[in-house]
Amino acid sequence: MRNSYLVCYDISDDKRLRRVFQIMRGWGDHLQLSVFECQLTRAELAELKGELGEVIHHEQDQVLFVDLGPAEGRGDRVITAIGRPYTSFDAPCYVV
Amino acid sequence: MGAPLPAESEREPAAGRTLPDYLPARMVNEYVYCPRLFFYEWVEGIFVESADTIEGKQQHRRVDREGAPMAAPGEAEGEWKTRSVTLSSERHRLIARIDLIEGEGRRVTPVDYKHGRPRETAAGLEAWPSDRTQLAVQALILRENGYECDEGIVFYQETRQRVRVAMTPELVEETLKAAREAWETARRGVMPPPLAGSPKCPGCSLHPVCLPDETNWLRGVGRDGDERQLSLFGEPVPRKPAMSEGGVRRLVSARTELRPAYLDTQGLRVGRSGDVLVVKDEDKVVQELRIHDLCQLNLMGNIQVTTQAVQALCEEGVPVCYFSRGGWFYGVTTGLVTKNVFLRQMQFRLAAEPWFCLRLGRQLVAGKIRNQRTMILRNHVEPDARLLAEMKRMAEVAVRAKSLEELLGLEGNAARLYFEAFGGLIKTGEGTDVPKVFRLDFHGRNRRPPRDAVNALLSLGYSLLAKDLTVTCYAVGFDPMMGFYHQPRFGRPALALDLMEPFRPLVVDSAVIQAINTRMITEKDFVQAGPAVVLKPEGRKAFYRAYEQRMDTLVTHPLFEYRVSYRRLLEIQARLLARYMEGEIGEYPVFVTR
Ligand code: SF4
Repeated sequence: MRNSYLVCYDISDDKRLRRVFQIMRGWGDHLQLSVFECQLTRAELAELKGELGEVIHHEQDQVLFVDLGPAEGRGDRVITAIGRPYTSFDAPCYVV
Repeated sequence: MGAPLPAESEREPAAGRTLPDYLPARMVNEYVYCPRLFFYEWVEGIFVESADTIEGKQQHRRVDREGAPMAAPGEAEGEWKTRSVTLSSERHRLIARIDLIEGEGRRVTPVDYKHGRPRETAAGLEAWPSDRTQLAVQALILRENGYECDEGIVFYQETRQRVRVAMTPELVEETLKAAREAWETARRGVMPPPLAGSPKCPGCSLHPVCLPDETNWLRGVGRDGDERQLSLFGEPVPRKPAMSEGGVRRLVSARTELRPAYLDTQGLRVGRSGDVLVVKDEDKVVQELRIHDLCQLNLMGNIQVTTQAVQALCEEGVPVCYFSRGGWFYGVTTGLVTKNVFLRQMQFRLAAEPWFCLRLGRQLVAGKIRNQRTMILRNHVEPDARLLAEMKRMAEVAVRAKSLEELLGLEGNAARLYFEAFGGLIKTGEGTDVPKVFRLDFHGRNRRPPRDAVNALLSLGYSLLAKDLTVTCYAVGFDPMMGFYHQPRFGRPALALDLMEPFRPLVVDSAVIQAINTRMITEKDFVQAGPAVVLKPEGRKAFYRAYEQRMDTLVTHPLFEYRVSYRRLLEIQARLLARYMEGEIGEYPVFVTR
C-alpha cells in the first residue's frame, strides 16, 4: 500500500542540492522549488531515505517527510492551491 | 484419465541439483523462522525486498564499514574487538558472517545486529528463536576455529538493547538439528508447505510469491478427491463451509501500485536521466516517466530506446514489450530476475504428459465458456435463454472432455455462439442507432486483417492480454513458450495463451464493449484500408486506457472472497498454476466470475 508524502528539503551546499534533486526526481512529482510529492510503499520510503542519507550532510542539511496518509482514494482534498493549480495524476497507465 | 500428481513425500529430488559447499548461518535462521522461506531464498534464489530488509541492509552497511583483521586464538592479549568477520566450519558445512566479535584472550562473544526489537516474555526480554539459532551457528563455527564461546549477544537496533544468549547443550543440539534438516530440505528439492494462519506471514516479504493462506485453503479442498473438486469449480459454484468462516486473509494488496506505459507516437526516443525515462519527440521532451513507477514499458511501433534506458529497466525488473504499429506482439526484454529453474523443469516434464494437458485444458476451456456466458447474461439487451442454456451445457461437457481435440471443438462452437450474440452487447446511447462501423454484419471473429471495427479492437486487446500474461509468466518463473492446452508453435507464447483463455471475455471483450458504449472510442477513430478496418493513433491510445481501466477494476475472487484488480489476479492465477504443477494443490482453480 502506498502512502503520500510531501518531501521538503533544505540543503546548504549547491552540489549536494543538485544530487538530492536528482534523487527526488526518481521518486516523486516536483511541486515547487524544494518540495516533492511522492507516493511510496514502506519499502520505497526506506530506500529513498537510504539514498538521501548517503548524500546529505547530517549536521548541515535537513529533509522533512510529511505523511499525507494512504495514496488510494486520497483525492485532491489534502493539498489545495491558490495561484497555479495543483492536479494529481490519477490514470491507470501512461500513454504517450 | 491420468494418475494424480505424486504426493510431495513420494517425489524424487530434482535431478542435476548441486548444493553449495556451506550453509550460511543466516539461512539456518530463515529455516527456523519458516522452512518455506528458507527454500525460496536458498534453493530457488527468490528474494523480495521489504522495508525491513532494506532498513536492515542500510544499518549493516554502517556496521560493516569498520572492519579489522581478527586475532588468531590466543594471539591477542586483554580485551579486543573485531567487526564483519567471515568464518566457516568444515565439520558442519556451515558459514557465517559475524557482525562483531568481542574477545578477551581466547574467549569470544559474537554480536549479531538485528533490525527489529527483542521478544517480550513473562521472564523478561529474550532473543527470537531464529536469532538464537543464528548465534548458535556462529558460536559453533568459532569453537571449531579454536575459540572458546559460551554465549552470544543479539543487538536489537530498534530498541538498542543487547540480549544475551547462552550456548546451552540444548540450544546447540537444536541448532545442529535445524542445520541438518535445512540441508535435507535443500537436497530433496521439494518445497515445504506454507505456515498455517501464522502471524509471521503478513510481515514476510515473500507472501505475494508464497500465497500461504490461498495455498493452504486449496490444499484442504484438494484432499477430498477429484469428484468433489470438479463439482466445486463447476457451475453453480457452491458456497463451501470454510468460506462462511471469513474466507482467506488478503495478504497481497488489492492493486499493484505500478503503472504500465504505452508509447505509441511514431519516432519517439526514450533516454535515461537518473531514475527517470525521458521521452522525446524530435528535440522536445514530451513526457518524463519515473522508473520506480512503472511495471512495464510498451513500445508500439517505431520507438527508439537507448541502451542505458534498457539497462536501467532490466535492473529494476521492468520488462520492455515490443509491438508492431498494428499491435502485433513481437516479444519482451526482461532482466535476469527469476532463477526459478525447478518450476521450469516441472513445466517441461508435465507438458509431455497428455493427461496433465487434458486436465488443465478442461478447466481453462470450461472457465472461458462460463465467463463468455456471464458476459452475455450481464450485458446483452435481450439474452437468449436457449443460447445461455446451450453454453452452460458446453461448459459442463468441457469439464469431462476426453481429448484435446474434443476440447478445441467445443471451444470453437462456443465461441461461434458467443460472437453471434456479441453484437447485442453494443449499445451506443438511447435512441441513436449503433454506428455502421460497429455493426457486426458477419458472424463471429475475423482477423488478419480485421474487417470491422469491433474485430480490430478485439485483436489489439488480445495482443495486449497475451503480452501481460507473457510478462506474468516471466515474473512467476515459467517459460511462456511451453504450453499445455496450446501446443508449442513457432513464435507463440503457448503458456501465456493457456492462462489467457478464461480472461479473454472478462478483460478484453469487456474493455471493448466499455470503450464503445461509453464512446471512449467512436466511428471517427477508424479508417477503411482495402478490406481491413484500421484504428487511428488516437483511437489506439484511447483503447490502451480502456484496457488498463479494466485491468485496474476490482473483482471478487470466487474462492478466496477478497477483492483484487484483474492485474493482480493474473499473477495470483499464474502462481496458483505453479502450486498445482508443484503438486501442492489438487486442481487448478480456474478463475470464473459469478
Ligand atoms: S508467507 Fe508465511 S509461509 Fe510463506 S514464506 Fe513467508 S512466512 Fe513462510
